[in-house]
Amino acid sequence: MTGPALRYDGVSVGYQGTAVLTHVDLDVRAGQRLALVGPNGAGKSTLIKSVLGLVPVLAGQASVLGADPSAARGQAGYVPQTDTLDADFPVSVRQVVMMGRYRRIGWWRPARAADRRAVAEALDRVGLADRAGHRFGTLSGGQRQRVLLARAIASEPRLLLLDEPFNGVDAVSQDEIVRVLRELSAGGAALVISTHDLGVARDLADVVCLLNGRQWAVGAPSEVLTAEKLRMTYGGHVVDVADGQMMLVEP
Amino acid sequence: MIAPFELPFMARALAEIALLAVICGPVSVFVYARRLAFVSDAMTHTVFPGVVIGFVAGGLEGLVVGALVAGLLTAVVLTLLTRGGRVSDDAATAVVLTAMFSIGVVLVSRRTSYTSDLTAFLFGRLLTVTADQLVETAVLAGVVLVALLIGARALLFRTFDPAGAAAAGFRVGWLDLWLNVLVALVVVASVRAVGTILVVALLIVPAAAARMVTDRLAVMAVVGTVLIIGAGYAGLLVSWTASLHYGVALTSASSVVLLLVAAYLLLIPVRLLRARRQRRVPSARRSSVHELVG
Repeated sequence: MTGPALRYDGVSVGYQGTAVLTHVDLDVRAGQRLALVGPNGAGKSTLIKSVLGLVPVLAGQASVLGADPSAARGQAGYVPQTDTLDADFPVSVRQVVMMGRYRRIGWWRPARAADRRAVAEALDRVGLADRAGHRFGTLSGGQRQRVLLARAIASEPRLLLLDEPFNGVDAVSQDEIVRVLRELSAGGAALVISTHDLGVARDLADVVCLLNGRQWAVGAPSEVLTAEKLRMTYGGHVVDVADGQMMLVEP
Repeated sequence: MIAPFELPFMARALAEIALLAVICGPVSVFVYARRLAFVSDAMTHTVFPGVVIGFVAGGLEGLVVGALVAGLLTAVVLTLLTRGGRVSDDAATAVVLTAMFSIGVVLVSRRTSYTSDLTAFLFGRLLTVTADQLVETAVLAGVVLVALLIGARALLFRTFDPAGAAAAGFRVGWLDLWLNVLVALVVVASVRAVGTILVVALLIVPAAAARMVTDRLAVMAVVGTVLIIGAGYAGLLVSWTASLHYGVALTSASSVVLLLVAAYLLLIPVRLLRARRQRRVPSARRSSVHELVG
């Protein structure tokens, strides 16, 4: 692939003309992992939705997979937070993962062997091959998150956006998700991961972007996850702990 | 058990119910999953003035045309009102529902045959369905089934995960209009046989009852269809027997609906047993029988 998977230059995004997030400059290339870090309401989800073409870019230049975000709709993979979905919904794990293939399958045609194979492989990759026939809602929160990751994998995206994939996820599932994300980026996919977990951001990301209403910093984790920059972003609610470890505290 | 259905009008009534079952079963699954019970209820009421205007202008033939125009118009209005998941959905829907229903009542009350007309519009005339009307229902049913088959995947995705479907490139607003139009068409197809009030039962109860016995959407559609056909057969038989042998005038459409609701109630224990066997899952708001009240 030529050029960056995602490029934002001085971008503002928001709803109905009101900016939620301003001054965003990003450059994510194939194989890179970008972490969006900031408190609740910082605009992380809004930024992700702007990349998906679901929230308008109000100012600046935005390019997603070499095109305008609205034109790139359907090209990027998206992993929502599992708790936004109805756990009682009568749908099997296999059906959920197959949704990742719907755009390829089209409206009329039944799923082909290649689609079924892609679904099986994606489930195998997140370690849930044995749960294909289970109802989605009967799985644990972490497993459901892995199913949604498998759905995104099945769509074979070059750019993958994950909205707080570690929220309410058990340690086993978290390790599994981190492992799969590393594999995906090694395979050339560009990843954007929103999180408020500084540890995850430090361990997983190549690039970290600090957000809170605007972009406060962007760069390598060691440059960005500093006490000073975090304090600036979070408004003074950061405490230095030994060995350069940071902790966020309530004021 | 079969003899009454050798009479042409009984056979036609059963055929009409069977045709409606084929579309109501699958469409009710989406109404259930999308939690559109109230929107469907509104649709049945907003179709009412269309039914009255159509009937006044063109008699029984005009009725379907009037219903069709009102139904499609409502589908568009409700899609716009509920766009973007605004919180005032229910209030806005209720305003449209009551306003349109009142207009219908005003219109019908200007007629001399007020009471009998009103009864027919509200509760239908299942036993007077003609062969031509059966053909009309079959055509509408065909259109609904084809449109549902084409949209099924996208509608499922949108129903389960609207943000995910939008991110995958599906136009959620158009999909919502698609489903609302399908519901409107089902209402139009059913309105002459079962009336505007009872249509909502065919759109909500089958899937809600089927959900008691299965976790699979496709199976829900089939079970819902079978339940309507079963309730249709038994309901017609009960109303026939009641009026012929016991002199009790029982509206056939209401017998059908009551049996459908009875099936729902009888299946509740099955759900409870299944829930006990399965791991407990937090069950969010579900369509309930309360939503049947028009």
